[in-house]
Amino acid sequence: MSFVEFVEGPLFILASAIFVLGALWRVIGIIRIGRKKDISPPKGSAVMGFVVGNLRHFFPRGIFARRTALHIIAGYGFHLALLVLVLFAAPHIAFIQDRLINVNLPEMPRWGFIVAAEIAFAGLIMLWVRRISDPVMRLISDWDDHIGTWLTFLVMLSGCFALQESQSFLRGLHMLLVDVWLIYFPFSRLMHAFTFFLSRGNTGATYGRKGMNL
Amino acid sequence: MMMRQILALVLFASLLNVGVAHAQTTAPNSEANAKAAQALENIMARQRGEVVLPSGSDVPAPEGGPLFGPDPGPPNTLGAQSQSDYWRAYRGGDPADVVAAIESGQAMTTTGQQWRLLRENYIRKYAGWFPVGVIGILLVFHLVIGKMTISAGRSGKTLPRFTLTQRVAHWFMACVFILLAFTGLIILLGRLAIAPYLGKEVNSILTSASLQGHNLFGPLFIIALVWMFIKFVRGNFFQLVDFKWIFKLGGLFGGHVSSSQFNFGEKSWFWMVVLIGTVISITGIALEFPWLVADLRLLQLSTILHGVGAVALISVAIGHIYVGTIGMEGSIDSMLKGEVDENWAKEHHDLWYEEVTGKPASEDAS
Repeated sequence: MSFVEFVEGPLFILASAIFVLGALWRVIGIIRIGRKKDISPPKGSAVMGFVVGNLRHFFPRGIFARRTALHIIAGYGFHLALLVLVLFAAPHIAFIQDRLINVNLPEMPRWGFIVAAEIAFAGLIMLWVRRISDPVMRLISDWDDHIGTWLTFLVMLSGCFALQESQSFLRGLHMLLVDVWLIYFPFSRLMHAFTFFLSRGNTGATYGRKGMNL
Repeated sequence: MMMRQILALVLFASLLNVGVAHAQTTAPNSEANAKAAQALENIMARQRGEVVLPSGSDVPAPEGGPLFGPDPGPPNTLGAQSQSDYWRAYRGGDPADVVAAIESGQAMTTTGQQWRLLRENYIRKYAGWFPVGVIGILLVFHLVIGKMTISAGRSGKTLPRFTLTQRVAHWFMACVFILLAFTGLIILLGRLAIAPYLGKEVNSILTSASLQGHNLFGPLFIIALVWMFIKFVRGNFFQLVDFKWIFKLGGLFGGHVSSSQFNFGEKSWFWMVVLIGTVISITGIALEFPWLVADLRLLQLSTILHGVGAVALISVAIGHIYVGTIGMEGSIDSMLKGEVDENWAKEHHDLWYEEVTGKPASEDAS
């Protein structure tokens, strides 16, 4: 079994299993914690607050818009571009169809791939340099934040290195980093991809029940 | 006796045969030598700019065109039928005269060969030594002179120096620059610096990866360059006080040297990045999208300017990184925290300190 076959075969299956089971375990665990019983009479809908809280957090408050513009733009740019790359890049679609599920996803043109990759890289680098340049961000960041960022960056970088598709080692390296990323994901803050709606929803539900205008 | 006569007869016949054979071979050689000498003379005459008519022909050579003639010339040459002048003109002469029939007016260029020689014999050969040389100089400097400390010590009071956006712009440029520098050096020097030691296979993998990475990060450099220019151009225009900095080599000789928010070295570095970065950006676009440039010679020039400019920037960037980190106490704070110690500001940017605080730098420093 070659290196590429190993990282795309047994190791990928193992990493995917850890990713799925670990993420489910974390999300179910958070939900099972539940909420402290609120005995005050409700002045509004907690469910509505959950939904509105989630939607409201997609946009910055007016007074913070200017101060947060940089990381809002970088954050949206990075996450959306990464999602587009993962789902619609031609090599990814081929891999998904070959290894996971036979689904017909539209392939991005080459120029679309390049533009998405540029935005994703620019966004991620900006988010990280803000983390090291802002004294407050630096204080509240720990190794987990840096490892998560760097691991994601290396996955993207190795994928871009393998674009020429002339060296199987580069494809193998990319897949190895993907496997490591999948294994690391459930045990890190990368889990925010699945838990952000719970935290936003929790805040929204609390305020919604109290009848606050979100 | 009879046997002796027979042997003598055979020997005589043999000698006679050799003599005839010699005469048969020497006569054409003399003729060939004469033709070769004539051919050489013709070549020399052509190089002197004289028009050489084909021997044995009364047909004049076409003006500015190829020379044709019946003379076959010496063995393995075209002799008078040689079209060396024609091809020489075809290759490097005035294309309009020689290949006017060709629409582009140019059938062959030698700039590719000149470009290859320049790239192989100079740029590839010496480029790597510039960054290595800078590292060596800095190492010696650090060992001999050591870290530049804040002579008055840290005051514990800080001054804001760079905004968060300026810091993010700086680090964004730094990240992209480092990625481009490493991938670019591998592309340029991999065959010389990697293949002989790690093998061609490793070099092939690294070069393939670097090429893709370099092409992808190139456009980000342009964004970073524009962003950095906008954020840092204010305060980077040269002033009269900068001349003192030059004469004292930034304080290395002649004691303290005053400077405003940015000293002459920082300003020079800024403008180097802006100007050379612009050249690198334009040539990089030409190399990444070669169909935008119609003239091959412009592409060849682009590779030269791109490589030389990048090596210059990388070499100076090493010095910038040294001074900004381990070379000078307190410098890194300005880009990490956005604030610097007041004593650092007084020592290195006294005019800026006075401007920001409204207090004289010299009194407080003492």
